[in-house]
Amino acid sequence: METKEFVLVRDLLRSFAARFRVGSADDVKPSAGAAAQEALGELGLGELRRSTPPAATVQECALLAEEHGGLPLPTSLLGTVLLAPELLRLLGAPAAPGGTPTIALARDLRFPDASPSPLVAWDSEGADEALCVHPDGTVTAVGLGQAAPSVDLLRAIRTAGPARRVVGRLTLAGQRHWQAYALVVVAAELMGAARSFVGQSVAYARERSQYGRPVGSFQAVQHLLADATVQVEACASATRYAAWCLDHESPERALVAARVAKAEVNRSAVEAVYAGMQVFGGIAQTWEHVAHLYLRKVRVGATVLATTADLLTALAEPEPAAVAVVEAVR
Amino acid sequence: MDFELTEDQETIRKAVAGLLRDFDDRYWMEKDRDHEFPAEFYDAVARGGWLGLTIPEEYGGHGLGITEASLLLEEVARSGGGMNAASAIHLSIFGMHPVVVHGSEELKRRTLPRIANGDLHVCFGVTEPGAGLDTTSITTYARRDGDHYVVNGRKVWISKALESEKILLLTRTAKVGEVAKRTDGMTLFLTDLDRAHVDIRPIPKMGRNAVTSNELFIDELRVPVEDRVGEEGQGFRYLLDGLNPERMLIAAEALGIGRVALDKAVRYGKERVVFDRPIGMNQGVQFPLADSLARLDAAELVLRKATWLYDHGRPCGREANTAKYLCADAGFTAADRALQTHGGMGYSEEYHVARYFREARLMRIAPISQEMILNYLGSHVLGLPRSY
Ligand SMILES: Cc1cc2nc3c(=O)[nH]c(=O)nc-3n(C[C@H](O)[C@H](O)[C@H](O)COP(=O)(O)OP(=O)(O)OC[C@H]3O[C@@H](n4cnc5c(N)ncnc54)[C@H](O)[C@@H]3O)c2cc1C
Repeated sequence: METKEFVLVRDLLRSFAARFRVGSADDVKPSAGAAAQEALGELGLGELRRSTPPAATVQECALLAEEHGGLPLPTSLLGTVLLAPELLRLLGAPAAPGGTPTIALARDLRFPDASPSPLVAWDSEGADEALCVHPDGTVTAVGLGQAAPSVDLLRAIRTAGPARRVVGRLTLAGQRHWQAYALVVVAAELMGAARSFVGQSVAYARERSQYGRPVGSFQAVQHLLADATVQVEACASATRYAAWCLDHESPERALVAARVAKAEVNRSAVEAVYAGMQVFGGIAQTWEHVAHLYLRKVRVGATVLATTADLLTALAEPEPAAVAVVEAVR
Repeated sequence: MDFELTEDQETIRKAVAGLLRDFDDRYWMEKDRDHEFPAEFYDAVARGGWLGLTIPEEYGGHGLGITEASLLLEEVARSGGGMNAASAIHLSIFGMHPVVVHGSEELKRRTLPRIANGDLHVCFGVTEPGAGLDTTSITTYARRDGDHYVVNGRKVWISKALESEKILLLTRTAKVGEVAKRTDGMTLFLTDLDRAHVDIRPIPKMGRNAVTSNELFIDELRVPVEDRVGEEGQGFRYLLDGLNPERMLIAAEALGIGRVALDKAVRYGKERVVFDRPIGMNQGVQFPLADSLARLDAAELVLRKATWLYDHGRPCGREANTAKYLCADAGFTAADRALQTHGGMGYSEEYHVARYFREARLMRIAPISQEMILNYLGSHVLGLPRSY
């Protein structure tokens, strides 16, 4: 996309976010979610990754995900706008007529594995079916069941029904690209949440006064926030590099970078939000305050798609390319 | 050196654990979910005679020390009751200390026996919207009017106010500008929460929901002079007396939560099988739990030392503060790791660790933040210049 064009798109999303952000947990109601999702749908962002080559780069999509994570929004940008359309694009498959798919995950919110455990439709606001990528690359569409309780109050999850149809099958490279892409946009949204929350706590440290001066004048508070800023920047760098890899490098390289990014975000975004909460003092313990919406998002987010243990284990494996080189030398 | 608990202390611990068996995780999950005061639990503790643990015998208590009180509260938190259970009884256990030490004979006779038998619920009113950690900035004002004071002001966060008959209330009787030291001019009362003059509004909050925390709007509350604790203008000093024990008790509660969270994580680590082996067989899962065990054990030792010093009448500021710092940290870290160990299941209330997590988080802020503990250690123990 031209820079000018992208800025326009981002500003559209930004004004949408400002309009539909929830003020507190009590505003998270099904009706509000539906209205916001409809307004998000009208922005037409689902088209960004539907054509080949796509209208938007992965880097641009990651920036949009970051923007969406910045404010407490009950909408599904990841599942229905960025993830499912990309999957259909990779498969060269048409959407179900009139349907809005999201993606299906295992019940513990990780990538589906070979076990026959039940699935959930993740980030399902506004969705009417869910696409499941099986470990062999087969992609099936499943129907949606009941709303499932979720600790992340902003993210709708529903139980998934039996497979309705086979949508297609990803090649090995396609699977790697898919996993990398999914890890990157999820990491980007979580990083956006951490960045925004740290920003809000910095603003609070400026205005909240104790002992006759702003609490932000105390080094303990300053250093806490400085550390949190470093953590957010580490998340941002890792995530942006992984997004860049998806646009420019092989899927193998991109997957390694994406795993690094998600592992960084799993740890650092959560730490950054903890720091922000510490600065808010008691007020961040209230139900009305947005702190717990952010905390829930990043804390659950750290287990979505892949936990740190999953990622570190995968990263500790020899890289396929490195293995090939070693074998050639032998 | 002697690391054994005395026989009596061991008995207390066992008796309390036995008493609490009737109140399992499900009980606390439901009370938390329904925002309902754990009356059955409170009554059982009262019937067992535990509420008056530290209240002197002549006022209906047992006259025991802070070591025993900390064992009690640790056990209570560890039973799975966490901060819901601890906060329901915390103030009865030791909160009346300023009254015991500085209150008039008449005030003590009138209130302490009722605290000890559980009949009288009390809350503690210090924090205000503009005065969190910085207590001397409070502005709630008590004006003398004959044999009464008339109180006006606003308090926040007052736990259990909704369920309480009386409040231990910190006020100003002289404004900051009128006294030589900021810590002067504050007066403490133990008085009725007369609903005609005190509007009490619960604050919806993230966790510990079986016990309310409230905003108080105090409008022309008339307080008889007999309800004043000690002398006018000395209230802050009276509170300081109770700060070290308060820190130790909070430390004990944080420790208890950490212990129960770790127990749950270990059990799950043994039971849950992924890739054909229990997840606890992975070092990535096992080591954080082992690390938490070490941290909890170390924090516990400092706590025991602090309560021992206090009960032997020795200075204990350093140890009390260190105990709060280390226990709050170890407790939270253990709860955090328990959540992580449970993976996606950790978020289900059914496994209880999400509840421990929410409560453990609180201990790093209230009643005193980790940062203020470091301020104390930095300036009072290390002698570095005061930084604020
Ligand atoms: C669930 C709950 C129950 C409570 N129950 C009661 C109760 O029953 N009675 C009662 O009176 N109060 C109660 N409180 C209030 C509690 O004691 C305060 O929240 C606590 O003292 C912190 O004050 P604050 O929230 O205003 O934070 P602030 O004082 O605004 O502090 C904000 C941040 O600035 C930092 N900071 C402030 N000053 C300094 C400094 N000098 N140096 C370095 N860092 C600094 C703090 O550490 C913190 O991170 C309760 C609070 C909660 C959350």
